[in-house]
Amino acid sequence: MTELDVRGLPPPEPFEQIMHALQLLPADSRLRVLIHREPYPLYEVLGDNGFTWQTSALADGNYSILIGRTA
Amino acid sequence: MKTVSLSTEQAPAISVPLRFFAIAPLFLVLAALIIAIYDTNPFVDAHSPALLAATHCITIGFIGMIMQGAMQQILPVVIGSPMPASRQIAWLTLLPLIAGTLSLSAGFLQGAPALLNLAWVLLGFGFVVFIAASLISLSRAPAKTASKTALLLSVLALTVAVILGTLLARGYATGMQLDYAKLAAAHISLALGGWVTLLIIGVSYQVVPMFQLTPNYPQRLASALPPALFASLLLYLASSWLNAPLLSHIAEGIFWVLAVVFALTTLWLQSRRRRRVADATLSFFRLGMISLLCAALLSAAALLIPSPAPFRTLSVSVFILGFALSVIHGMLYKIVPFLVWFHLFRGGIKKGVPNMKQIIPEVWMWRHLWLHIATLLAALLTSVRVEAIRLFAIGLASEGLLLCFALYTGIAVYRRTLKTCVVSA
Repeated sequence: MTELDVRGLPPPEPFEQIMHALQLLPADSRLRVLIHREPYPLYEVLGDNGFTWQTSALADGNYSILIGRTA
Repeated sequence: MKTVSLSTEQAPAISVPLRFFAIAPLFLVLAALIIAIYDTNPFVDAHSPALLAATHCITIGFIGMIMQGAMQQILPVVIGSPMPASRQIAWLTLLPLIAGTLSLSAGFLQGAPALLNLAWVLLGFGFVVFIAASLISLSRAPAKTASKTALLLSVLALTVAVILGTLLARGYATGMQLDYAKLAAAHISLALGGWVTLLIIGVSYQVVPMFQLTPNYPQRLASALPPALFASLLLYLASSWLNAPLLSHIAEGIFWVLAVVFALTTLWLQSRRRRRVADATLSFFRLGMISLLCAALLSAAALLIPSPAPFRTLSVSVFILGFALSVIHGMLYKIVPFLVWFHLFRGGIKKGVPNMKQIIPEVWMWRHLWLHIATLLAALLTSVRVEAIRLFAIGLASEGLLLCFALYTGIAVYRRTLKTCVVSA
């Protein structure tokens, strides 16, 4: 699993970095993203591009998003 | 809390918010024309029909229109729930808002009951559609955040403000016997103190940490502030209804203390931002918060002195022009480039998408900031020098035109990039 920390980056850098990491992601692997807010607009793009995701709110106020390819 | 692969149709088409943003600045120009032609000065006559016309061009035509467009964009991004049928709702709110504001202003200027009657029907319809769509979106939202509470309360405050505004416009049209001073005070409190302030608070909770790279607002404060502020407005309404002036002053005092807490917290967070580079949008926001502090001081002075009218007029002027307009300008200059960038990227264009900072050149934002400060100072100067009203009108018209230019520049970048990429494909 690949990990990506985009906490504290200004828009649109988190979005750009996540999309770049997804392009490089091996077919059978998943991407875990640490981010400082829930990125609702990202979900739309993930759905459009055949990804699934699972978001968990962390105790420190950040979010962890596990992204994988649709089976 | 966990969310798993929700709906993918979240954001509205870019044309939805942009059409509100593109038209609204023209109402600043219209307000400036009315002020210049009718030579209206709130410190000479605070109730003149021309002043009512110009004020509503700014508050409904500009602030209301921008905020309605912004809500279309904010709801899906901030709480994960778009307005239903966003394109249709956009037309059903925008067109009545344009026609209604023009009818209202013309109705005030000409003292024409037919135009005032048309205005309250159009504006009432547009606002009812907007309020209903917003409430549906809020009720469907998965998020349970302080922003959502603030947005919900702002819409509820708007509902009461619209009811009171409709009653007032209808009263002016028909000559109905009403306590106009009391109703107008309640209308202004709910519209500015409720709708505008709560919406700015709810959006700031997201926009300030996200775009200005500050720490988050303290959680307890963020949760408590919107309900407390709304409660102070309800207390004000109740005391006004019960003819209890002392209670009314206490409610007003509580409102301003809460507004000061919000402004100081925002300034404190901005002082702790992670990237300390000069940014015009940040400066607009700071000017807005400093203006909110000044409006609070002026209102406090008005509560303590025997002849409060000039201080009240100054407070309202600083609130509208210094707080609301500054924050709106700052938000527009961040949100519009982001929207252009996001929709180009989402549209599948990976190469040739301009950098966000190139979409509206920052030099224009800085020019606008200085122009806005000069316009604000001219507005304050009118309290002691009547002739400064012309300067203010020139400044306000220039601001409207400059904002139009900047926003159309952003829209042109979007269209040009789409066209170039289609051609190259």
